[in-house]
Amino acid sequence: MGKAVKLLAACFLLFTGNLYAQENNELTIKIEPTPVVVEVGEELQLKATLMDGDEALPDTVLFYSRNGAALEVSRDGLVKANKPGTFSVLAQRSGPRDQRVRTRFNIEVPYPPIAKLEFKQIPESFFSKTNYDLLVDVIDEMKLVRENPELSFKSSNPEVATISHGKLLALKPGKTKITATSEGKSAVLNINVKENPAAEITIANSQTNVRTGDVITLNATAKGNNGNAVAVPITYSFEAQPEDNLGQGAEGQINQDGKFVANVPGTFILSARAGTATADQVIRVRKRNVARDIEVVGHGQVFDVHTSDLWVWEGQDGRDYAITGTWGANGDTYFWDVTDPANLIPVDTVRVDARTVNDVKISADGTIGVLTREGASDRKNGIVILNVSDPRNVEVITEYTDGLTGGVHNSFIYEDHVYAVNNGTRYDIINIEDPANPYTVNRFELDTPGHSIHDVWIEDGIAYSSNWRDGIVAVDIGSKNSELADAGGSPSNPVKLGSYAYPSGWNHAAFPFKSESTGDFYVIGGDEAFPEGLPSRNNPAAAAGWIHFVKFNGWENPQEVARYQVPEAGTHNFWVVGDTLYVAYYNGGLRIVDISGELMGNLYDQGREIAKFEPTHADAVVPNAPFTWGPQPHKGHIFISDWNSGLWSVKLLEPAQQGTN
Amino acid sequence: MKFLHALLFVSVLFLGFLTDSLNAQDYYLYVAAESDDRVHLIHFDGETEQGEISETIEVGTWPQENEGPHGLTISPDGEHWFVSIAHGMPYGSLWKYETETNQFVEKVELGMFPATMDISRSTGLLYVVNFNLHGDMEPSTVSVVEPNTMMRLEDIDTGIMPHGSRISDDGKWQYHASMMTDELIVIDTEKLEVANRIPLSKNGSPKMNAHSGMDHSGMNHENMEHNPVEKPTWADPHPVKPLVYVAGNGSDEIIEVNTDSWKITNRWKTGKAPYNLEVSNDGNMLVVTYKGEGATGVWDLNEEKELAKITNSRKVSHGVTISPDNKFAFISVEGIGGEPGSVDVINLETLKRVDVIETGKQAGGIIFWKMGE
Repeated sequence: MGKAVKLLAACFLLFTGNLYAQENNELTIKIEPTPVVVEVGEELQLKATLMDGDEALPDTVLFYSRNGAALEVSRDGLVKANKPGTFSVLAQRSGPRDQRVRTRFNIEVPYPPIAKLEFKQIPESFFSKTNYDLLVDVIDEMKLVRENPELSFKSSNPEVATISHGKLLALKPGKTKITATSEGKSAVLNINVKENPAAEITIANSQTNVRTGDVITLNATAKGNNGNAVAVPITYSFEAQPEDNLGQGAEGQINQDGKFVANVPGTFILSARAGTATADQVIRVRKRNVARDIEVVGHGQVFDVHTSDLWVWEGQDGRDYAITGTWGANGDTYFWDVTDPANLIPVDTVRVDARTVNDVKISADGTIGVLTREGASDRKNGIVILNVSDPRNVEVITEYTDGLTGGVHNSFIYEDHVYAVNNGTRYDIINIEDPANPYTVNRFELDTPGHSIHDVWIEDGIAYSSNWRDGIVAVDIGSKNSELADAGGSPSNPVKLGSYAYPSGWNHAAFPFKSESTGDFYVIGGDEAFPEGLPSRNNPAAAAGWIHFVKFNGWENPQEVARYQVPEAGTHNFWVVGDTLYVAYYNGGLRIVDISGELMGNLYDQGREIAKFEPTHADAVVPNAPFTWGPQPHKGHIFISDWNSGLWSVKLLEPAQQGTN
Repeated sequence: MKFLHALLFVSVLFLGFLTDSLNAQDYYLYVAAESDDRVHLIHFDGETEQGEISETIEVGTWPQENEGPHGLTISPDGEHWFVSIAHGMPYGSLWKYETETNQFVEKVELGMFPATMDISRSTGLLYVVNFNLHGDMEPSTVSVVEPNTMMRLEDIDTGIMPHGSRISDDGKWQYHASMMTDELIVIDTEKLEVANRIPLSKNGSPKMNAHSGMDHSGMNHENMEHNPVEKPTWADPHPVKPLVYVAGNGSDEIIEVNTDSWKITNRWKTGKAPYNLEVSNDGNMLVVTYKGEGATGVWDLNEEKELAKITNSRKVSHGVTISPDNKFAFISVEGIGGEPGSVDVINLETLKRVDVIETGKQAGGIIFWKMGE
């Protein structure tokens, strides 16, 4: 605000109230034509006139629009409509506040008339006593497919087939015309409902005594009167008799691929149906019984600042060490001797010019460490490379800030390269063969609009990044002859392999998982979300989000098959060893989950949780409130960093009875 | 302009009269603690020359991400304050709050690392530079927001790492510095387009200068070497004279640009790394933060000399805002690492630092709100 204006504003606001708080409300702006309607592809010149009552005043009125390419509006009011919709536009006579006049009005760009309707994905045959989805594209004169059109259906012979909510119910053999109508345009589908040839259903599944969380595939086959298999749709359902039916929730789920999983113990009757042929199979489900007690072994208290990430490794001297970062503090990183997990001993501190050391990583050989910096006083941030050969006397080798000045949030060290998530949009790949002289060899960045990245994790030469709205992205950075990929990627030539995004846009972490029990390959995606907003000392954070199990059968075919979702809590970092998942669940503490076998549904509901531990302390930064940042299993213990209370070590106790495979 | 002078004169008299009669000695301002995701409302008692944090407002959404409140401004009617949040996914945003209650009203997404902003008294629109300090030397934008509805109207292409958005008194011209192209850039606030680019280099370097007549379209900008010298970080117009003052952060100088001739008319050597600056409301003084030496310079614009260099309470001096009565300059000082930031208060009559009000970490954006209760 200009000086004189500021002075005027201060004076008059102080002593006279909002004398100048109102815009001129006597003058108006007349927009012509009114209403403003422009057809797609057409142009229209608007006229804006400053009016004092009925009197037109000579003045300049300018137009402002924030509708991008959909509706272009020049400053002098030339409108070009490129997409249908209702758009808000501002017209203004500028000037001091008391002389300023503005009006906001809508421009309607009608949807083009519908040109035609097209049935799509039409089944080859329709069989009686079977349900089908009817899919119709509604296409306008601009050849655009209308989203969420109003559609109605009619069957010319309801005794043969009826339509309800887009579902066609084929009732008996015969012919009928199905007419789909939208805004006066129609399409007709002639269908011939055939007698359903299924006379018998057989179920191949032999697993009838399972645990909660075990996935059964019914493998049902429809057969004709001659005993041969017939290609007809089979539908699946189940009937549950849970052991505990007092206010019980969902007992299980079955999908239309014939896969079933139970959430609770009990007796289940699984049914497969084709036409009038049905088959049932009775399944006995017992409790999964994988829960184990967890023991708190040690606590490295950090009560004066928030603790961020951790890494645990065996040092070159054979002892075990941990590194933890600090958040929103003074740029400290702590090194701990954790050889005795019951006595987590701080052995060194490195202070760098930063407010947050968000991520800490150690090279596989235990000689090089990398800190990520945010809040450096010179605003150059970047990373700091450490010599951690002697964790009791850690040395700063150098800092590296080229192209990383906005702050580095996360990083990963892999084969003499640092993959540094450059605040916002990409990861930079930095050669540290000579750690004193790092240099950037390439970057990996998506090309989607508004793309954003949060973290990257590398295994077997494949970088798995987490990219919020763009989800999980796998990139070959040197997979060589891996069974998963061989795309010729290298640090200087990263090659994208595949990706998977989900609607919430909360993807915050990604971790590869090759199931030891099934051989299936997943990329596990973790969320981060705070829909309730900021916490405070008196109002601990309420996080949201869950773990997504995305099964990759080839990089082109990702399928999200399961989740692990703890109610009223939210995920952060996680780790997998064997068929066990370790999740830092923020306000839900540490969760350890059995992810053996095929995965389907919400694992939380299936009794797959092995243990949980909520680290709290009365003297913590936020007292008595877990906010668990990250876990790392190491030599039989699980180390976790907690944002409020520091470093912890815990141990799973031996199970009282066998439960899992 | 004459009308403005008259109004200014009357209001000064008016202020003096009422200041005496009502003993209005309370000053209120907002300061952002960039590394603590907080904005403080500061109250300063002009009589005792003591200040304190009156209220702290937590800003941002993510508890475990530093979102970085950077720039601040107040609506002309004094009813709202606005803060730019530097970090997002990946874009930053502009948040609007009520001054009366400090309650959040609305937000709108902006560009990469939005920073300083100002509101035009002519258009009523808010102009915020997208500083984009993520490291790549690429042109950025100035976002234009309609602050009532928080509708983002336009993104105006500008220089590399634009910073220091300030608007002329008549509201028609927005000035900002393009740090990595050594330019003062002027935006027509009505047409929402760049009106002028003034090279600030001593040799008038034409690099990346749209007015040089060069056709840049065939150039490989990615491989261009930019070697900015002045690295300007702030621009502030004089309230009555056709002058704009630019902080030459890289060349340790204040550069005076005449907006009639669009010529550089003065260069004054300063303390190390001048960062922000503000011309006093009477146009007689210029207060400049010297980021590189943790000090603040007070300049007499009529005599063209530095009256005093006042050591700040800690390192990394950042912003400055001057009270409407020109009695006090409030300096935000970032500090380093875990130490608190501060607002250092300088009495512009005695040229002494009279108080230090400690804030959250990395005190940066600072804006005067009001005098009185």
